[in-house]
Amino acid sequence: MAEIRNGPEEPDRENRPEPTPSDDTGAARELVEPRSRAEYSADLERHVVLLSFEPRRAGLPDVSIKDATAYLDKHHTERPWLSVARDCPPEVQRVFAALDQGGGHAHIRHEGWVTEEMNECRVRNLEDPAQLDPAKRLAGVDGVKVSDQPHRCGGIVTRITDPEAFATAFARGIEHPDVRAALESLGPVPRPVSLPISDVLGDDGHKFCSGWRLEPVSGNMLEALANRAAWVAGNRDVPEPRTRPVETFEGGTVTYVFRASTGGCHEISTMYVDPPDEETT
Amino acid sequence: MKRRRDRERCQVNQAYWARNPQGPFATLIGVAATYCHPEAYDGAYEDLAVRARSAAPDDEEIRVFRAELQEALADPGQLPDNELFKAVQFSDGSNEAFLCRLWHDLYGNKP
Repeated sequence: MAEIRNGPEEPDRENRPEPTPSDDTGAARELVEPRSRAEYSADLERHVVLLSFEPRRAGLPDVSIKDATAYLDKHHTERPWLSVARDCPPEVQRVFAALDQGGGHAHIRHEGWVTEEMNECRVRNLEDPAQLDPAKRLAGVDGVKVSDQPHRCGGIVTRITDPEAFATAFARGIEHPDVRAALESLGPVPRPVSLPISDVLGDDGHKFCSGWRLEPVSGNMLEALANRAAWVAGNRDVPEPRTRPVETFEGGTVTYVFRASTGGCHEISTMYVDPPDEETT
Repeated sequence: MKRRRDRERCQVNQAYWARNPQGPFATLIGVAATYCHPEAYDGAYEDLAVRARSAAPDDEEIRVFRAELQEALADPGQLPDNELFKAVQFSDGSNEAFLCRLWHDLYGNKP
């Protein structure tokens, strides 16, 4: 072995020039593929889900990718929740365009265009992010319901902060057997379906979620909601509602809520995420 | 193997009425969540009132719903821990207050 190593064909190791680290090498690799294999696989799967999304299967009007882009360009000014999707891949834009032409409000209240401040004001003071008239929003008028009805919400308000993740949750959710059964049913409006966030958005899906919750009153959420209703109605004998951010969505759920569709079956009225249960009642 | 486990896990609807289809008050909680939750569609509560008042003889869900609503009103303590409030997110302050309002709005008189 030593003979071979020291033979005439062996490269001169002693006088070999020191390899010079190239600044380009790492950068080039980063440009080519910065993701881990698992991340790449998850992204690929998400891409496939979005590409194979058929609006009609969700009770929504059929929208081509080309028409979706044109729809967003045309309507994003008066419908600001569409703006976030304009820089997204075309298949994401199609989900938003289809949703916006349906009767649901998931993309209007539970998506990334809603800021943290808007969400906090919603749960504390019942100010609806979907209400585009600032005076009406401050007065608690619902932005989606007809005839200036008061806005309502539960003790937690949430959103999926990334439009692509939001579109994926919708496109993947409508293929779940329980959601499919609900969408295709002809009878009364089906009950909501709640699926683990990790099943819909992957193990890191909770990182795309954000939200605020009411502080319990006397350790009680029942009382906190009643208290907020009284405060918003003008009763200043009750404590002012207080809020705090949701700590984590890990272990939480995505809920799909239904309504009758103009096509005769059902469509998704809204879709929202919830954190795992707290012990507070 | 992991993929199969993931698929199996994905079959699980986490809602109370799906986890406990035969559980106590599953129909009451499921129907109330569908029509009375703040995230329900515009007009849902009114639709429930119409459905409850003019229930078809074969509307088994509404028959059970009404029976469970009466039972819960008679003894709200029988309701499973926090499940009604978690599913409906009402602002009435107590299960009993919500159930009373619901009965009144749907059926008018006292049960």
